[in-house]
Amino acid sequence: MMRELIHWLTHTPVNHLVMDYRWTWPTAESLHFCALALMVGTVGTFDLRLLGLGKGISPATLHYSIRFGVARFVVSVVTGALFIFGQPDQYFYNNAFKVKVVCLLLLGLNVCAFYALEARQVLKLGAGDDAPPRAKVFAAISLTLLVAIMCAGRMLTFYRP
Amino acid sequence: MYGGRLLRCAAMMIDLLTFLENNEVSVFIREFPSVFGFPTILFLHTLGLAMVAGVSIAIDLWILRGATAGAPLHLLGLTRTMWLGFGINLVSGLALLLAYPAKALTNGVFYLKMALVLLGVYVAVRINREIAARGRTGAVLSIGFDARRWATGSLMLWAAATVTGRLLAYTYNVLFAYELTP
Repeated sequence: MMRELIHWLTHTPVNHLVMDYRWTWPTAESLHFCALALMVGTVGTFDLRLLGLGKGISPATLHYSIRFGVARFVVSVVTGALFIFGQPDQYFYNNAFKVKVVCLLLLGLNVCAFYALEARQVLKLGAGDDAPPRAKVFAAISLTLLVAIMCAGRMLTFYRP
Repeated sequence: MYGGRLLRCAAMMIDLLTFLENNEVSVFIREFPSVFGFPTILFLHTLGLAMVAGVSIAIDLWILRGATAGAPLHLLGLTRTMWLGFGINLVSGLALLLAYPAKALTNGVFYLKMALVLLGVYVAVRINREIAARGRTGAVLSIGFDARRWATGSLMLWAAATVTGRLLAYTYNVLFAYELTP
């Protein structure tokens, strides 16, 4: 089934776009990295605030910029999909890619749990207020997963099948 | 006469690059047979970029949103994270440069990236200094410093620095000095 999927992906117009135009891959990679910086700048900084850094800014103010994080998520998904369409075999058989996908799923679960259990309380905090301990745990998990995603992403090249 | 001098300069440059890439440290970084060698340095460089550009972007977005600060000291945690990221970037960047000096130093995009990073750092320092100076009064966006313009410039500089950094992998002319001819 995996072979069929790879065969299908490599025979799509998107594969042609990625592989046959010299600047598609570098452009997608540049956008992927810009999105990464934006993710750390929005989600990562919000996590750092919950952990006690930059306490002069209220969590609600930093939370506002997370909507840019949503934009970055769309850019990451689109550019990431381009890479997979371009060289699917380099990703599906790559252990670093599997780790990255697992970490992304865990990050998604962590975000859902945070919004279900803590967000309302956290967004009421003002400048200088300390976040509740459970919110700090969510923030620490989120930061750890962000770094793990970054690490796995960088290691993709070195675990090529 | 000038042609001869230019040739001598080029030959000296090639000698220097050859010396650098044959250096024990350079060979060690390039050829360390483990994921904890070159790949880890690359990861640290990405982590450093995310910390510097990420925190800088967060402060820029905060300014563009209409920043109002309490005590500026409270920002220190974030700016410290930024400077820690810069330190990681500097050390890992030097290691990457030492591993493949000819690849970087013969590529114009490398110099453009360096210029953008230096400008980005200058703008970040300027913004942080203004926040520290004006934050005490709770009026970061006060008269005399067009914070929004600086923040917009900072966002553009970090985006450009990130793009040029990525493009280094696609725009180099040679990998090693022996590929160069004076």
